Amino acid sequence: MIVRGTVRWLDERLGTNAGARYLLAKIYPDHWSFYLGEFALYFFMVLVATGIWLTFAFDASEAGAFPSVLALADRSHPIGYVIRQVHHWSALCFVAAILVHMARIFFTGAFRRPRELNWMIGVTMLVLASLTGFTGYSLPNDDLSGIGLRIADSVALSVPLVGQWASAVLNGADYFPGPQLIPHLYTLHVYYLPVTIGVLLSLHLGMVIYQKHTQFVRDPEHVVGRRFWPDYALRTLAVFGASVAALGALAALVELNPIETYGPYHPWIATNSAVPDWYAAFLDGALRLGPSTEIHIFGHPIPPVFWPGVVLPFVTLAFVFAWPFIEKRLTGDDAAHDVLALPTQSPLRLGVGTALLFDGILLTLAAADDQTAAALHIRLETLVWVYRILLFAGPLVAGLIAARIGAEMRARIRESAVYASDVTTLVRTAEGGFEEEEPQPA
Amino acid sequence: MNVAIFLVVSVAGALGATAAAAFGAPPALFATALAVAFAGLAGAAAAAAVALHAPDDLRDPREARGPSDVQPILTDGVTRGAFNKLWLAAAGAFAVLGIVPLVSLARKPGRSVRTGWRAGLRLVDEQNQPIRVDRLIAGGIETVFPQDGVDIPDASAVLIRLPTGYVAYSKICTHAGCPVALYRAHSQQLYCPCHQSLFDVLDGAKNVSGPAPRPLPGLPLDVDANGYLIARGDFDGPVGPDDWGRVT
Repeated sequence: MIVRGTVRWLDERLGTNAGARYLLAKIYPDHWSFYLGEFALYFFMVLVATGIWLTFAFDASEAGAFPSVLALADRSHPIGYVIRQVHHWSALCFVAAILVHMARIFFTGAFRRPRELNWMIGVTMLVLASLTGFTGYSLPNDDLSGIGLRIADSVALSVPLVGQWASAVLNGADYFPGPQLIPHLYTLHVYYLPVTIGVLLSLHLGMVIYQKHTQFVRDPEHVVGRRFWPDYALRTLAVFGASVAALGALAALVELNPIETYGPYHPWIATNSAVPDWYAAFLDGALRLGPSTEIHIFGHPIPPVFWPGVVLPFVTLAFVFAWPFIEKRLTGDDAAHDVLALPTQSPLRLGVGTALLFDGILLTLAAADDQTAAALHIRLETLVWVYRILLFAGPLVAGLIAARIGAEMRARIRESAVYASDVTTLVRTAEGGFEEEEPQPA
Repeated sequence: MNVAIFLVVSVAGALGATAAAAFGAPPALFATALAVAFAGLAGAAAAAAVALHAPDDLRDPREARGPSDVQPILTDGVTRGAFNKLWLAAAGAFAVLGIVPLVSLARKPGRSVRTGWRAGLRLVDEQNQPIRVDRLIAGGIETVFPQDGVDIPDASAVLIRLPTGYVAYSKICTHAGCPVALYRAHSQQLYCPCHQSLFDVLDGAKNVSGPAPRPLPGLPLDVDANGYLIARGDFDGPVGPDDWGRVT
């Protein structure tokens, strides 16, 4: 009754019913892989909700940050403990969901014309999500995250010309850790970064609605799928419930970031097995595999962290960001595609995607090279060299193998399609002879 | 029917979580009840979606988006020829002006390394207690600071007693600034837990393995008249990782 009245009241003033009807009647293609992006959306919603709660419990000052998070880590405050755990778990799952969603978009060619812009927005959101995660991970000012910040500060400093400026802005001082570091990270973490994600997310989803979904069904003239209300709405509600349930279960079972065991940050305290959150691990791995050579340009040093810490991620990101245009250049395919390809339909994409994934996983593993070497009883230096060789040879080999498999599967599918059109059925007659059956129209 | 069961589970979970919070139950219990509540919701929604038996092949025609068929808005009088260049020049000038606030954001640009060490200053431990020559046995290790300077970010040094006497090196790694906190006594090497750089304590803390580009700076040591360890000066090299502005 109240709902109906409100709907009418709004419609009389704004004419909202037409738009609402359009959205409720919208058709959503149904495939399990299309829910991956929705997981990311719901993790972001959980992050915002729990994050707002946490802003009231957190003290964003250099001295107050650690004690205020320590109070949340204390299990005698069960709600604060769970909200912080769910927030951190949700951040880890958010980046993971974005990556898996992105892999689906990549391997099925959903980024092709006319959706190149949405691909670039998506890649930007992946970067922003990682940065939001890293700034949040650093806020407690505990020893582990403090070490991570010191490394990040060193990487920033290594950038020619602007490095010192960037570090001075963040620290609010000409040394690390500056008095403004935690307050500045806080503003980035709760304001600039998440608000930008929110704006880009709106554009991302708005464009999906405006341009309509891609799909696997081979009907380029129509979107084929389920109606939003109530069919798809119930399905996405199930995804929402499953996302939060998973976060609750993780918070109950696996404790993340026990800062009470790390203690507050001191520039002179560190211990073994210092590793960051998983989405930053590839950078840590890259720093471990990086060179130790420092070159000088007109007396100015380029520290070794510059290559693995700045050049590698920027070149990789630029490549991924520009992939729709690179692929267009390589294949000459500039047609609009609303129907998705299977991963095996493009050996090029399959090869490039496999190569990227290979190096991403390798660098992530390299962030635990000391523990791996100890577990395997081999010298760390040996393992570092194995990883270094794999970093360059691995993606080539893995990419070529994947492309080859893709090409063969594509050929096989085409072959079977050719034969399928050529099938004849023999029928044994009552007399014992064979006759060709009349082909049935498909 | 399934929907109803799931919804009952969801309600039980939500009320259970509320009760757990009200009675101060352990966090794992609260989180579990929360998970049950949302899992119930997910189950109910999924069961309801299945029960709908709705078609999955509804068709909605796609409309072409762009290119738009509109007449260009005439701006001939103000954007032709020289005008265009002037507009661009103005935009460029404002971009240049924009650098001013950006640069001024860094109130203290550059980088200064403050170690606090000078000749005659006593070595102290974390509690600011001075260190006598008999503090460590051979193979012993201690983190030391300049007297009254424990808080100075780049001051920390590792003091190691070798069979031949004491040595001290900066504890800030020359690779990425991590504390070189671990000591392999059997091989007399300092080890950085962040990126596994190894420094040979017997050979001037030279970087022997890992990504560190140069040795850890050494701290020249002496003993004062009362038998306490003192510094003979600052570190013999720049502390911490290099940057563009550290011209050598």
